[in-house]
Amino acid sequence: MAASASAISLPVSRREKGEEERQLVRLAQSGEEAAFEELIRRHQQRVFGLVSGILRRREDVEDVVQQVFLKVFVSLKRFDQRAAFSTWLYKISVNECWDYLRKKKVRPLVYEADLSEEQVSRLDGVVSADRPPQSPMDRAEARDLLERMMEKLPQQDRELLILKEVEGFSVQELAEILELNVNTVKVRLFRARARLMEVYRRRLKASPDQPPEARKRKDQ
Amino acid sequence: MSMNAEYRTTACSQYEAALEDQLHGDLGGSEAAELAKHLKTCSGCRAALDEAVLSARLLRIAEPTADPGPGFSHMVMARIRAELHLHEGRSIWQPFVSLAWRFAATAAVALVVLVSFDIGRHSQLQQDQSLLVTNRLPELIPDQSSVPTSSDDVLLMMAETNHGK
Repeated sequence: MAASASAISLPVSRREKGEEERQLVRLAQSGEEAAFEELIRRHQQRVFGLVSGILRRREDVEDVVQQVFLKVFVSLKRFDQRAAFSTWLYKISVNECWDYLRKKKVRPLVYEADLSEEQVSRLDGVVSADRPPQSPMDRAEARDLLERMMEKLPQQDRELLILKEVEGFSVQELAEILELNVNTVKVRLFRARARLMEVYRRRLKASPDQPPEARKRKDQ
Repeated sequence: MSMNAEYRTTACSQYEAALEDQLHGDLGGSEAAELAKHLKTCSGCRAALDEAVLSARLLRIAEPTADPGPGFSHMVMARIRAELHLHEGRSIWQPFVSLAWRFAATAAVALVVLVSFDIGRHSQLQQDQSLLVTNRLPELIPDQSSVPTSSDDVLLMMAETNHGK
């Protein structure tokens, strides 16, 4: 009984939330600054995630996010609410990122040095144990290693994997933001995973000093 | 089993989307049953799914971007207000400023045209004057052969002149 009640209440609360947001948008469109500030507060984390997922440069992210909200504010009166506000906002964010990359002619970060044997085996330990490193230093190093591997991927693969797996965007959201078919997003994500693992395996092969599990997988 | 050459994945291309769903437990009903049946016979798809699971573990290392905090929205609003203020300031004076620039540009062009015309006219006048002087030279400077050299020549010239009259 309780389960069915919660099943009914969930879509209602979601609908209420959606209506509340539409009301906020209407108020912001009529020039209510407090309503717009509330919209920023509600979406800033996801926009930050989205922008940092694409740019990967912490120093640029804040500037671009500010620019996104400025653009949204300026063009809010033209927004007709046919799509969800979040979808419209995320599309503007993605376009702003691509504009930024084009204008700045930013080249992807390139790590000249490859991973050391020790680093590879540590990373393999993380993957095979399926638990994140415990100490903050190990966590930071593991993130750095992952970042290096991600840089070897094509930009589109990297963006999709980060937005889906790290920043928590759903396949549906990604399809709307990137204006792609849902199935296409799924296929691209699956292939991006294969590509990431290929980069990962290449590093394992390059290192003769590996833990037994990695060697076993390599032989398969 | 078909090999995807571009990505070197061993998965069958028609099952890739379903495998992605399976990874997140989003596959249900008949699709899940169909994939399970396929996985029993397709080692390529099984291997690809195992790799996808490992990739998800690997990606768990990364941390999502932290919330910028409540100060961020204040900062954005301050920037918006500043931009709007700047825009308003611009909108009041902009027509006058652009009109003034147009006047200045037109005046500059007119001045250049006038100065160049004046210079041209002046040089033409000088040329004309020098031509005039050159043409009148024979009139002003008497012929050396007709200049009297003695008092007798003067008297003779006077007699000739009077005789001519």
